[in-house]
Amino acid sequence: MRALLAAVLLAAAALANAQEGYPLDGTWRGEHPAAGGGTSTVVIVFEWDGQKLNGVVNPGPEQFQVTNVELIPDGWKVKIAAKSKTGQAISYDAVLSDIGKYDRHLNGTWTEGGTKYNVRMTREH
Amino acid sequence: MTIRKLVGAAAAVATLAVMALPAASQASEKAAATPRYPDGVVRFDRMPNEKGYWDNPTAVSLVEEGVRVEMDKNGKLRNLADAKKVAPFQPWALALYEYRQKNNFADDPMKVCIGPGNPRMMHTPGGLRIIQDRNYERAYLLFGAGNHGWRTIYMDGREPPNPEEVTLTFYGLSVGKMQGDALVAESIGFNTRFWFSNGGLPHTEALHLTERITRPSHDVLHYEVTINDPRTYTRPWKASWDFHWVSGDVPTQFCEDGRK
Repeated sequence: MRALLAAVLLAAAALANAQEGYPLDGTWRGEHPAAGGGTSTVVIVFEWDGQKLNGVVNPGPEQFQVTNVELIPDGWKVKIAAKSKTGQAISYDAVLSDIGKYDRHLNGTWTEGGTKYNVRMTREH
Repeated sequence: MTIRKLVGAAAAVATLAVMALPAASQASEKAAATPRYPDGVVRFDRMPNEKGYWDNPTAVSLVEEGVRVEMDKNGKLRNLADAKKVAPFQPWALALYEYRQKNNFADDPMKVCIGPGNPRMMHTPGGLRIIQDRNYERAYLLFGAGNHGWRTIYMDGREPPNPEEVTLTFYGLSVGKMQGDALVAESIGFNTRFWFSNGGLPHTEALHLTERITRPSHDVLHYEVTINDPRTYTRPWKASWDFHWVSGDVPTQFCEDGRK
């Protein structure tokens, strides 16, 4: 049993340290306060094709494309622009942290319809 | 001892020396010659009744051919300003490489016993054998380093697979063939859960390797790899190094404690 637990812990440690190539590739999840109270979840899926970074916000029936996204390696800054299904302009200015970890983070300001939120997004396993 | 005896002894020594010269020369030539199968195909592994393996790679990291930069045995640059010379990085890849160099490879997957993958295992000391299974038309590369892993190169003439249909792995999927005296392998299908080089060079799932392995003499294996990853590098680039033949068996070592 102890050996099994050790193996599970080792596997978990390995996963937590697993790497990826392009730092933004993958699925990111975060939350911001919702209009009527509570929280609203934001999911963004990024894919780097070698020339351009593509992104989809909240994949599913309500999804919309990221219109512009930029990763600035100097300081690992990320700038995202999109337009919601209702036509509201959305921007997210963030900084990438824990780059060496698989579940790295984006911390920044999410602006939607003139309202600003601090949003921390985590890349999912 | 009379002069006659002295002259006689000297003549005998000289005769022996002259007789021994061709034998020594033949032995030296035999040792230096590239071993081959009876049909002339280069043999990359041991001869029957021989014990030995490849080790002591002359490179510690991937560095573009023709570029000279100083590194320690882990691939850490003596001068970080040399980073941009190492490979034709895209801006993000150069920044990530510099990040990994600056933090002393703190996030290196090998530190938690994740294997080195390909081609990192090819410049990781610890022993390498290349077993040619000519019945099944495959070559097996067995590694002493990392987790004692091994990979297969299919030599049966099959076409390279569709990248969209390949399960991504640490070694990728390799198909190869003999081109003259060279074993040439094409590999795709790499995951991104490993660093594909000491020193922290990044790659993506688009990585495509072309490896060319030759054995110019009994004791030297030459390895050349062309890296084509258009999502990470601005153009394909090449690195190469040698291995040397070591007598004995590949040392047994396993990463067990998660700290290596």
